[in-house]
Amino acid sequence: MKTKHFLAVIALIALACLGALIVLRLRSAGVIANIYQDGTCIRSVDLSKVAAPETFTVTDKNGHENVVSVEPGRICVARANCPDQVCVHEGWVSGGTRPIVCLPAKLVIRLEDKSAAPGADAPDAVVG
Amino acid sequence: MTTKRITRDALLTAIALTIFMVEAQLPALAPVPGMKLGLANIVTVWALFTLGPLDALMILLGRILLGAVFAGQLMALIYSLAGGLLCFLVTLLLRRVLTARQIFIAGIFGAMAHNTGQLIAATLVLKSLAVWYYCPLLLLSGIVTGAFTGLAAQYLHARLAKSGSS
Repeated sequence: MKTKHFLAVIALIALACLGALIVLRLRSAGVIANIYQDGTCIRSVDLSKVAAPETFTVTDKNGHENVVSVEPGRICVARANCPDQVCVHEGWVSGGTRPIVCLPAKLVIRLEDKSAAPGADAPDAVVG
Repeated sequence: MTTKRITRDALLTAIALTIFMVEAQLPALAPVPGMKLGLANIVTVWALFTLGPLDALMILLGRILLGAVFAGQLMALIYSLAGGLLCFLVTLLLRRVLTARQIFIAGIFGAMAHNTGQLIAATLVLKSLAVWYYCPLLLLSGIVTGAFTGLAAQYLHARLAKSGSS
């Protein structure tokens, strides 16, 4: 196979990625910050209803601690005891679909349309 | 397995490990988990094209296992293994169709496979598909860094073949 064939495939993938980035950026995110630990939502914060800045700590059973700060309309991880500090460097998040991820603590913070905390969106009844 | 082969592979593992450890000290380029230069892949790609799959796989596994121990992050072992093995598989398949002047293409696809493998591992660990939002960014960075490390491996391959060593 010729080099240009491979380069064409690579260019197509690059274009698809750029397109996906633009689509993800244009799509507006919700204003409910859902905090997932190990796949389950442990807390939901409606960023549009935050009156005063608030800080709380999320801990896991392996000793990881993420200090989450909430201000009106935005959320961030202020401090963390993970080695890479990727979640802290993400900074304030107020929109967009890109989540804050802390891999060592298995923590994901996403901005979504509705609350995913246990009980907040539970079905009224399950039939069948 | 001859003594020469063991010595050579051990030396290459040490080189890859050194590059890996130095790169781990560099500050992160962007707040995206998994985005990095992947300079240690130069050794893997070169070994795969010059020495063959078995030697390259041993160097890769040795570097990943020792790298996780030295970096002190055993959790990162899952991501390194998933990414490294998928990268190895893709490079191995491409080796059959690529010439010595197209090695950089293997670097590009290998880097993208590495990022994909990491995303799959992160999906399983976090039990969440949220990490796939990073996919476009990671693939784009993979194309750039993969081209760089692939070219480095290609030049290394050409120079060493000319000098008649290895």
